[in-house]
Amino acid sequence: MASSKGPASPAARVAEMEKMSVEQLKAVKEQTDLEVNLLQDSLNNIRTATTRLDLASAALHDLSLRPQGKKMLVPLTASLYVPGTLDDSEKVLVDIGTGYFVEKTMVEGKDYCERKIHLLKSNYDQLLELASNKKTVADEAGAALQAKLKQLAPQT
Amino acid sequence: MASPAAVRELQRDLENKANDLSRIQKDIAKNHQVRKKYTIQLGENELVLKELELLKEEANVYKLIGPVLVKQDLAEANANVRKRIEYISAELKRLDATVQDLEEKQNSKREAVLKVQQRMQALQAGKAKA
Repeated sequence: MASSKGPASPAARVAEMEKMSVEQLKAVKEQTDLEVNLLQDSLNNIRTATTRLDLASAALHDLSLRPQGKKMLVPLTASLYVPGTLDDSEKVLVDIGTGYFVEKTMVEGKDYCERKIHLLKSNYDQLLELASNKKTVADEAGAALQAKLKQLAPQT
Repeated sequence: MASPAAVRELQRDLENKANDLSRIQKDIAKNHQVRKKYTIQLGENELVLKELELLKEEANVYKLIGPVLVKQDLAEANANVRKRIEYISAELKRLDATVQDLEEKQNSKREAVLKVQQRMQALQAGKAKA
């Protein structure tokens, strides 16, 4: 999705927009709004994923505190739990993606969660910057459009 | 006399070219979708490869095949993921070439449609051209 918005500096951008007709401005604004929405969706997805990883990390931590042999209820389905006992909590099975699972120690597992959370946070920050830049362009387009429309309809 | 027939023929030509154009555009959109899917898979596989490389030799790797977790050899898992990454990269390159070709076709079709439209306008305006 490569869409060059022309000159990079805001002043030059606004100047470009003034030169465009109402139709073109409307198209530019709609296009930018769409992109902003897409970026917002991605941001939300990253936030959800980060929350899930946080929960996993907390669960891991909790698990590490439990003694071996502790009685627990194991979920078989969303509504069926079966009593069981906690085996060795030193080993954990980590889902690393595309159907691969790796056996790790509790420490490695926690480290994995931390690493993933950091990766997601940096992606989120990058995306946030992109999204706010796009939003600025969209706002500029909207303002220029409004000004143009006012120019064209000075009566009443 | 010959004019309305010529106009009708031009209109049919215009319709055909417009249909071709929309077909090409749909192909381009499909190409983009497949490309997105492959790009996501490529990213995921590269993450997996990174994790696998961090592992020590004796670490246990399991693969989920359907509902079954099967123990895998680390070397084999590495090889599989690498092969998959190669395959996806090749597919992406192929898709790139296809979409470029499609975009060229789209542009030339657009020009053709424009030309037919112009001829129609000239005909309807002049009504004396053949």
